[in-house]
Amino acid sequence: MADTDPHLDALAKADPTKLKQFAETLIGDLGDIEVLHSRTGLVMLPMRDTAQGTVFHLGEVLVSEAHIRADAQEGYGLRRGHDLEASMAMALIDLAIKRGIQADICTKFCEAARHTQSAQDDATLRRVEATRVNMETF
Amino acid sequence: MAYVATRGGESAIEQSERLFREEIGAFDQSRVETVKESMPYLIDRVMGEASLYDEDLAALAIAQTGGELYEAVLLLRAWRTSQPRLTVAEPIEQTELFTHRRISAAFKDIPGGQVLGPTLDYAHRILATDVLRGADYFPDPVEPAENPAPAHQPSVSAWQADNELVDLPAADQTSGNDIPDLTREPLLFPAKRAHTLQSLARAETGGALALGYAAMRGYGQAHPTVNELRLAEADVVVKHPDGRAFSAGRVKVSQAEVVDKKGDKLDLGFAATLGWNEVKCISAATLDLNSEGAEKGSATEEEFFLYHTEGVESSGFCIHFKLPHYVTFQSSLDAMRDAKAKKAATTKTSEPAE
Repeated sequence: MADTDPHLDALAKADPTKLKQFAETLIGDLGDIEVLHSRTGLVMLPMRDTAQGTVFHLGEVLVSEAHIRADAQEGYGLRRGHDLEASMAMALIDLAIKRGIQADICTKFCEAARHTQSAQDDATLRRVEATRVNMETF
Repeated sequence: MAYVATRGGESAIEQSERLFREEIGAFDQSRVETVKESMPYLIDRVMGEASLYDEDLAALAIAQTGGELYEAVLLLRAWRTSQPRLTVAEPIEQTELFTHRRISAAFKDIPGGQVLGPTLDYAHRILATDVLRGADYFPDPVEPAENPAPAHQPSVSAWQADNELVDLPAADQTSGNDIPDLTREPLLFPAKRAHTLQSLARAETGGALALGYAAMRGYGQAHPTVNELRLAEADVVVKHPDGRAFSAGRVKVSQAEVVDKKGDKLDLGFAATLGWNEVKCISAATLDLNSEGAEKGSATEEEFFLYHTEGVESSGFCIHFKLPHYVTFQSSLDAMRDAKAKKAATTKTSEPAE
């Protein structure tokens, strides 16, 4: 995947229960927060055709979005599915990192989530690898 | 012709809807969860045809309609129109797909090799009737390999282009809201390729299979061989308001390339859809492969297959015939009676006098 932010990647895919629990611990330190958006909506997903190189719309994906602001800094959360609390939790953590509030702990949370996701991917790919065909030519 | 105005039936209409819903019965979140967990391929099919990716909503639509798939897809497409479009994600590139299944029937030794992934292609089709006698069904667990498969696999068609087997045009640089969008503009012919592929992505599976199968059986101009088939997950890459790109999560996608010999090169057909549905992708790619120069009105002509695989419109047109057509049918009856009367009168005057 091309040049994406590892912390945001991890937060968007993090377990929603753990994400919400962790974000709760930051609210007290973040002070007054302005909520610019907290809503569900769609993201159109394009794809490239491998036969002629054309980009076309594959379909839309339901997402939840939270866009918040405090002290001229913006926090943002956007995740697949209908869970406004989870997208708000993502936005709170993003805002905390930007404002340097419990930034180390937030970064560790992101790294832990990333590690879990990586382990899940590894397990999936080891199951996929079990289905590799080793062809013999007679 | 006289107008035949009718009224009435309000009570019958209300009771008929109640009868339909009563037979499905009450349902709650747990039934929706059960549908979602136990029927992932049905969920995928509905999401693909609805052009809306969300497993919870697809499971709800299936539960609410008792598995009437046309109704489920219609519910989702209708719901989709109530939601704002927040943004357009970065285009999915094949080489960035998190790949679960990738095979080629055309080339044995494709770069990256072949992984079968989840499939029943080589399974015995035996119904688990013991379950009906109270036995639980436990599938045998996968024995994971020691090392993981590569998450990303190279493109077969790019490898073919390097070997001068296919001609690949330069990649289209259109992005965001400039990509032609069938949900906001009409389908006109000759169709833009982006419209064709978007329409096939949400095509009704059975319709795509029926027309694609006609081409496979010999009613088309080109016989397909699967060049590359993938079941994968794609990252939905969006942007933070400050400009950083990130993945909002993954969605399941499938894509198929089919190939046929054309002169001294190979000709490719392509299709993809949301969710895992390889029958639809192979069929739709076959239609794409056959469409160039197809005879007007044939199953492989673009206008023919794009109109006839649009499930919401075609099922809607089909079921509208159940609605009252008393005026048009009475007109036909009047014409039929008139013709009969004229024929009878002609026969009478031409009879010889006694």
